[in-house]
Amino acid sequence: MFAYIIKRILSLIPVLFVVSVVIFSIIHITPGDPAAIILGQEATQEQIESLSEQLGLNEPIIEQYTNWVMGALTGDLGTSYFMRETVEEAIINHLGPTLSLAIFAEIFALIIAIPIGIIAAYRRGSWLDQSLMGISLLGMAVPSFILGLLLMLFVGVQLQWLPIGGYAPLSDGLFTHLKFLILPAISLGAIQAALVARMTRASMLEVLNSNYIKTARAKGVVERRVILKHAFRNAFLPILTVIGQSFGTLIVGAVVTETIFNIPGIGQLIINSVERRDYPVIQGVVLIVTFIYVFINLIVDLLYGVIDPRVRLDKK
Amino acid sequence: MRKRWFGMISLMIVLSLVLIACSDDSEETKTNESNNTEETEEKASEGATGGELSIAIPAQPPTLDAQMTVSTAALNIARHIYETLVTLNENYEPVPMLAESVDMSDDGTTYTFTLREGITFHNGEELTTEDVVASMNRWLETSSRAKLLLEEASFEESGENEVTLQLQERAADVLDIMAGQSEFPAIMPKEVIESADETGVTEYIGTGPFQFEEWRQDQYVHLSKFEDYQALESERSGLSGKKEALVDDIYFEIVTDPSTRVAGLQTGTYDIADEIPFETYEQVESMEGVNTHLYFNRTLTWFYNTNEGVMADQKMREAINTALNIDEIMQASYMNEDVYELNPGHMNLNQVNWASEAGMDSYNINDTEKAQELLDEAGYDGEQITIITTRDYGYMYNAAIVVQEQLNQLGMNVEVENYDLATFLELKNQPSEWDMFAAGTGYVTIPAQLLALNPGFAGLDDPTAQEMLAEVRTAETPEDAYANWDELQGYLYDSLSTTVFGHQKDIIATSDNVQGFEPFQAPILWDTTVSE
Repeated sequence: MFAYIIKRILSLIPVLFVVSVVIFSIIHITPGDPAAIILGQEATQEQIESLSEQLGLNEPIIEQYTNWVMGALTGDLGTSYFMRETVEEAIINHLGPTLSLAIFAEIFALIIAIPIGIIAAYRRGSWLDQSLMGISLLGMAVPSFILGLLLMLFVGVQLQWLPIGGYAPLSDGLFTHLKFLILPAISLGAIQAALVARMTRASMLEVLNSNYIKTARAKGVVERRVILKHAFRNAFLPILTVIGQSFGTLIVGAVVTETIFNIPGIGQLIINSVERRDYPVIQGVVLIVTFIYVFINLIVDLLYGVIDPRVRLDKK
Repeated sequence: MRKRWFGMISLMIVLSLVLIACSDDSEETKTNESNNTEETEEKASEGATGGELSIAIPAQPPTLDAQMTVSTAALNIARHIYETLVTLNENYEPVPMLAESVDMSDDGTTYTFTLREGITFHNGEELTTEDVVASMNRWLETSSRAKLLLEEASFEESGENEVTLQLQERAADVLDIMAGQSEFPAIMPKEVIESADETGVTEYIGTGPFQFEEWRQDQYVHLSKFEDYQALESERSGLSGKKEALVDDIYFEIVTDPSTRVAGLQTGTYDIADEIPFETYEQVESMEGVNTHLYFNRTLTWFYNTNEGVMADQKMREAINTALNIDEIMQASYMNEDVYELNPGHMNLNQVNWASEAGMDSYNINDTEKAQELLDEAGYDGEQITIITTRDYGYMYNAAIVVQEQLNQLGMNVEVENYDLATFLELKNQPSEWDMFAAGTGYVTIPAQLLALNPGFAGLDDPTAQEMLAEVRTAETPEDAYANWDELQGYLYDSLSTTVFGHQKDIIATSDNVQGFEPFQAPILWDTTVSE
């Protein structure tokens, strides 16, 4: 088990290396000068050149890359051109809101999706199944920004029940914290909910037809226990994969939702940094996000073992 | 079985604890800040003034170092923190602010500033001549316009409470340059100036009515009332005169999405929303409990590439200028007649002395037949003409599209290339990449500061224009200077390196609970109160 984890973590290194080379090349090939953005639309060429020089943008690309990699290896991702903070600080400051939002959206998605999936599978073919699956299809089809804007308009502006945007950290109190996150979490979680619901249904159907379920029923096990304990547990493996992937997507994919609801998360950080050509931040964020993504996949793989003894890794 | 479930649950708990730890870490600062807010709320209930003003602004400033930025987002905040020796009154004339008085020597090369006494910085230290000399000399180096217009000038201490500006040659517009708002000469403590690096000062300390508290990147900039502020006694006029901080805290909330700014105003999340998009003006105007404030703030200027390509030929520029229907262009760019005005002047329309209509004959001609003749004369043969633009500024993009449409109807081969702002700014500095572009150019205080006359902006290479500009700057009397500028603007319309399409107003919306708000070239938050 331990050796496996180490192996998996080591296999991250080439991934991160390739990602860093690709991202470094892309952002430097893209036209646009950070100095011009810092100085603003009305800056003259002379000013831009002098600031580029100071920022070290005139050095050869290879040299810039080596400097950056050397820094990254020692844990120094550089300093933002635009914000007066290091890349590490910028990421940490923006990671909190994103994680909160992702966790909350995931919880929302699971609370909705798993019961729907189970009920739909249990009542397969009924009008209930069909309408639930219809709704989930709709959930997948509506882009999160449209759902977000609609929620903002009705719940925020018309009914004024919840704030239309912004963010309050957990330290302001759990209630205040959640108040700001409800609408974005719903708009972000809806697609995931639809996905998980469909996956749950499919997976449950497969299991419900298997012999051990028949056996369990024949033994006279209570139906609820058959569904939740015998069927659901065995159906959970593919669902877990979807959850793991979707959580990764929630972290990196909240860009639009964060912009609409003005949540200062990683998505906004990366959008702003691209617009500002804040190279160190773009590189740093992509690197960290890649790491998180791969890390979540690793956790999911390890969780397989917890749920299903057959895929346990330490069995010799 | 149970054990394994337990294993999985505990793994999840550990994971969420890690995540929560991450998010907690970053919020410590905000805790302190929210405690402050509670205190100020208590204070607010005691009297009419006080409380917290929240203004939604469209972009995060790159820095708050006023001396080295032309970013509106930065300057609009910095103006509340810093003050200058001289500033603009409502007629856009330079008048003393931190200076008590200003004297010019007879030959016009020496200016002596006597400082006001008893002024303290936000850090509690008194303002001294040393601070002023350090600040002003840094400004002479950091500000592009100061470098261009005040070459080899320098500030020196000349008495106990006096500093002197020494110029190489006479310049009638020195005080106007010093009162200019872009890269303004903020007075800061000497230590702050000395510890500044190439990206700017590291501490934001000034003498203004509000002091810097905290900057949460991409979230907000927090200023608070400066209790020891020494206000002038004279009445408020423009940026000059008495300033009073009537709220305890100001939050400049960075809200990039314009519909979120508007929705936030409606729901009371923000008290003021800056930069209302033109397309939503009518909607915001009709909202209950919301007031709109409009003020002229920039020109939409059309730049030609006079150095390279088809547009280097003046006949071509004349042909295009003759063809354009500027009514259509301005309508498409700003959508509502309330927010723009057709006028060929390069200078602020409210600045009566400088505002000029010279060049009216070459403005908004809209004569396609004549244009066709000129095109034939120029020998235009379907060469591709490239307009670069950016959708980051909708009005620039719309103007480009309408110009393209009008010229295509004339049989010209015009392409619009749309980029994001960063790419646009880079291409603009490469003359081989473009023939024409539209840009919104903020108002300046004197013609010498105009981007249309700045060779570094769009590559203007015209000795005649520079000579005429020198005549404006060295004129014996202000009246001569105004007359010379009139001539120069006329010349700009003859030579057609640039054309002003028109003037645009900025829109700010405030909610009903904001009183006393009066913008001047920008949102001004002193003398403004907010009720719950």
